[in-house]
Amino acid sequence: MEYVLEMKNISKTFPGVAALDHVQLQVKPGEVHALMGENGAGKSTLMKILMGIYTKDPGGEILFDGKPYHAANPKEAMDAGIAMIHQELNPILDMTVYENIFVGRELRKNGLVDQKAEIEAAQRLIEECGLHVSPRETLRNLTVAQCQLIEIIKAISINAKVIVMDEPTAAITEREVELLFEHIRRLTEKGVAIIYISHRMAEIFSICDRVSVYRDGQYIGTDDTANLDETRLIKMMVGREITDVYPKLDADVGEVIFEARNIVRADQKVKDVSLAVRRGEILGIGGLVGAGRSELVEGIFGMQPLASGEIYVKGKQVKVLSPRDIIREGVALITEDRKVTGLNLSGSVNDNIAMVAIKKLLSHGLYNKNKALSASREYIEKLNIKTPSGSQIVGNLSGGNQQKVVIAKWLLNEPDVIILDEPTRGIDVAAKRDIYLLLGDLVRQGKAVILISSEIPELMGICDRIIVMCEGNYSGEVQRGEFSQERIMTLASAIKV
Amino acid sequence: MKETKRTKALISEYFIFVIFIALVVVLTCLKPSFIQPGNLVNILKQASINGILAFGMMFVIIAGGFDMSVGSTVAFTGVLAAMLGQGQYPLIVPLAVAMLAGLAVGVVNGVGVAVGDLPPFIMTLGTMTAVRGLALLISNGKPVIGISTEYKAVAASSIFGVPMLAVFLVVIIIICSFVLAKTVYGRRVYACGGNLLAARVSGINTTKIRISTFAIAGLLAGLSGFLMTSRVTIGQPNAAESYEMDAITACVVGGVSMSGGVGKPWGVVVGCLLITVIANGLDIMGVSSHWQKIVKGAIIVLAVLLDIKGKGKKN
Amino acid sequence: MNKKKFLAMLLACVMMLALATGCGGKDASAPADSAPADSGASSDAGSDAGSDTASDSGPYKIALIQQHQTNAFQIAVTEAAEAKAAELGAELKILSADQDAATQISQIEQCVTEGYQAILFEPVDPDGLRDAAKNAADAGVVVINIISACTDWEGAGISAVSYGNNVKAGETEMQQVADLLGGKGNIAILTGPSADAGGLQRMEGYENILANYPDIVQVVSPADCAWDTAQAQATVESWLSAYDLDAIVCENDGMAVGAGNAAGANSGIVISGVDGTPDGFEAIKDGRITGTVSQNGGAMAANGIEAAVTLLSGGTLETNVLVTDNTWIDASNVADYE
Repeated sequence: MEYVLEMKNISKTFPGVAALDHVQLQVKPGEVHALMGENGAGKSTLMKILMGIYTKDPGGEILFDGKPYHAANPKEAMDAGIAMIHQELNPILDMTVYENIFVGRELRKNGLVDQKAEIEAAQRLIEECGLHVSPRETLRNLTVAQCQLIEIIKAISINAKVIVMDEPTAAITEREVELLFEHIRRLTEKGVAIIYISHRMAEIFSICDRVSVYRDGQYIGTDDTANLDETRLIKMMVGREITDVYPKLDADVGEVIFEARNIVRADQKVKDVSLAVRRGEILGIGGLVGAGRSELVEGIFGMQPLASGEIYVKGKQVKVLSPRDIIREGVALITEDRKVTGLNLSGSVNDNIAMVAIKKLLSHGLYNKNKALSASREYIEKLNIKTPSGSQIVGNLSGGNQQKVVIAKWLLNEPDVIILDEPTRGIDVAAKRDIYLLLGDLVRQGKAVILISSEIPELMGICDRIIVMCEGNYSGEVQRGEFSQERIMTLASAIKV
Repeated sequence: MKETKRTKALISEYFIFVIFIALVVVLTCLKPSFIQPGNLVNILKQASINGILAFGMMFVIIAGGFDMSVGSTVAFTGVLAAMLGQGQYPLIVPLAVAMLAGLAVGVVNGVGVAVGDLPPFIMTLGTMTAVRGLALLISNGKPVIGISTEYKAVAASSIFGVPMLAVFLVVIIIICSFVLAKTVYGRRVYACGGNLLAARVSGINTTKIRISTFAIAGLLAGLSGFLMTSRVTIGQPNAAESYEMDAITACVVGGVSMSGGVGKPWGVVVGCLLITVIANGLDIMGVSSHWQKIVKGAIIVLAVLLDIKGKGKKN
Repeated sequence: MNKKKFLAMLLACVMMLALATGCGGKDASAPADSAPADSGASSDAGSDAGSDTASDSGPYKIALIQQHQTNAFQIAVTEAAEAKAAELGAELKILSADQDAATQISQIEQCVTEGYQAILFEPVDPDGLRDAAKNAADAGVVVINIISACTDWEGAGISAVSYGNNVKAGETEMQQVADLLGGKGNIAILTGPSADAGGLQRMEGYENILANYPDIVQVVSPADCAWDTAQAQATVESWLSAYDLDAIVCENDGMAVGAGNAAGANSGIVISGVDGTPDGFEAIKDGRITGTVSQNGGAMAANGIEAAVTLLSGGTLETNVLVTDNTWIDASNVADYE
């Protein structure tokens, strides 16, 4: 038997949209098979059909282990031997680590939950993954990355023949990616097939054996990764050639516009970090997950209390007690989790864009809808937001376009300093490129950008300077001329416990 | 540092218990008769029916739902039990019929919410009104009198000085705590309320779980109806008005999160006792009922405030 | 698709239920009521009949709008009104306002439109219903208040009132208690919802009597038990563990039953109520409560119907304030009232 999983002629129509149009996928046992394509290409839909979350249109067939396969719900898929790590994080925050790992397939003894066995098994799995959390810890107390790793552990522990990983590395850093890859290799040696969905080119080429590419619900083709290179792959995905993945626009660097000195957070998650950024400059903040990068900017932005530290904007000291204080000075923070803190998902694009800078949209003290509409129209065009209209509900847009809406909402306030926390997480190549170009354009206008990213190539591609943090401390700084992956990784793991 | 953090977490988790003890001490100082055995028995009796309802409510709220209909269900099943409890059948008949009728109401709620995708508030508001109507319809609007002596004795008797009502409550507490903490089903109830989508993609039949929690609430409301009739010796169609609110209050005060996924049985026990003790204590001190309402309201808000604060810290 | 099916089923169930309760309600409240009441549902034959009866001198069309139909007192009102209407050959429709003033107003308007010649109602709100009553009276309908009256009812065009006197009921009850206690003792009072007009009047009656008995002491402030048996039972249980009470005076029978349950049968504590409902009688018989003041709701309704028929047939009333007497019912005479 050549293939462990074959999906042939699969179609899926949503009201008015053909999400999948007679596509196929063939997965060999023991291989890592990448699914590539822009957002909306149909990868997730295809996988949801596989998992029994969606029902495929009549016609077409799925063979698993050579036998016809149909899953009416995720449980049937898992029982058959197919597991999935979902792109949208799915932890149950108020449950413990071990409860999350075993949810839906609890270990039993005499018909009751065998808590002891679950904790022991969870402990073993956690250690294998190199994670340092107690199985009894509540997920609410973990970082996003740790939660994602728990999801991965959960899928691995099912002992499936096929594991689907939808953007498994979106929230984790290099070190954990390495651990994940080790795990994937161990699984493939045992004959487990991995279906791997990611936007990160580097990962595709380092871990995947073959790639299937989809575009706009169509199957484009499958090839060995050995026969491909980045440019060819992007061409298959986008349908045109994009040579320059990290466009870097030149800008004149001016005086220091924003400075934070000796920032210490009250909860000690950040200990004595200073940074300064000049007009026309993109400053990167690198480090591993949990290094305190988000915590630093949240502290600066007044979202969490500081024990000490001084903040200067345009040479003037600012006392920051709440985000209002610093927004007023022209600083914007685009947060990491756009769905939680960045957007009103059930509001329209127009409403979301108008949210921050609402004072600019008043006439005679009242909300002026026409002003808001024209402002929104301007930014939809400027940022190349792909939406049928400004009245579209944000929740219906793709991740990349949602991110652009978040950025638009802050730009409307005309900030001078823009801080972005993982702005390109989980969005596709073309949208990423739009955002890089936008950042270049902003610094050209004499603004300053601070960019937090876990993707080192991204930082190296578009930043002028990168400071690196490690376990809440400042651990070093690298200038553009001296950028290297090793250098940054060394700094990021500089201080050992 | 870690130690103090843990202590703090422990205190914040058991804070409601601290409040409860403090309240008992204050009441005892103000009115020593509060702590007399006779009054403690009163408290147990008075807490029982609300306690049983609160435990049913707990399942629904932990699974991410909400049930407005339990008060009406108590009245409806109470009237049914009174009609069947006139001595013409053995007592098991009114008990079984009351519980089955409650179960039926619960299943209707559950199906409406889990299958019909109606918001729990709307669905159960509907049944709350309809079931009240049903209670009035079958009783013709009149209290049903004439229940048998044996039936009256269910609530009036006691075992070794412990009122029978409290025995029912304790049995329910033990069963519910066991189910929630030890069984696969209990774990899945938490999972549904914690993150419905996550539970679904983890292969849990969330529809079944959600229906079942409403069914449990209905079943326990039926039991409460049976006991209520025995206690007041009549089946009243207009009884148990706004009991759902007391049950919800007991849950929320006891640390069950209205957003689902969180809640411990012991918390609900304390929540329920706290409410009863407030009412009993204020009654004993002869405080006017207007003040009682104000105090009760203040305590609900305070408890939820603590609940939110405790959670917000971790985020 | 599944969902649609389900919703359709749900809808069907709801409609069936609506039908069932609709029929049931009619059966229960107004057996005397025939086609004209639901002319909307029946065909032209029904409306023909309606116009016939309206123009004929034949059976008078009378509507009775109760405050609600959810306790024994109100059900006694329903039953007595039906009996009286049947006796006098009047056609009676009975509606329940479910304690909602707005509902009651639209019901009055509807009855006027449907051509009812007399409307009897117990105002949900003594002020809120005045305009509706006035409009009905102006349209030539005979309007009568039963059980309680609107504020300045004559000014609102209301022809007569037929009620018991709540102040008097309270006086009767407290006088009996005072006599049983020999003018001396500790008492406690259970009241209805704090803002209820009837309850306040009964309380006024209590106070009138208590003024004469300085040795009768209220040891706790009155507790609002909202007419509810279970609540009264809990409150009295608590009280009894802290106070030595000689009597518990309740503003209705339901609460007296609760107090009686808490005290137990033949407790030696005087427990009294108002209303004279079956649950109260049962408790009197087995000694849980001492006695009750009968508010004869049925007589109030019957007198109201009689007055309406008299006025419609062109007669005059001796007086347009019809007061139904209160009676003290205890173990000695309870058998006569059941």
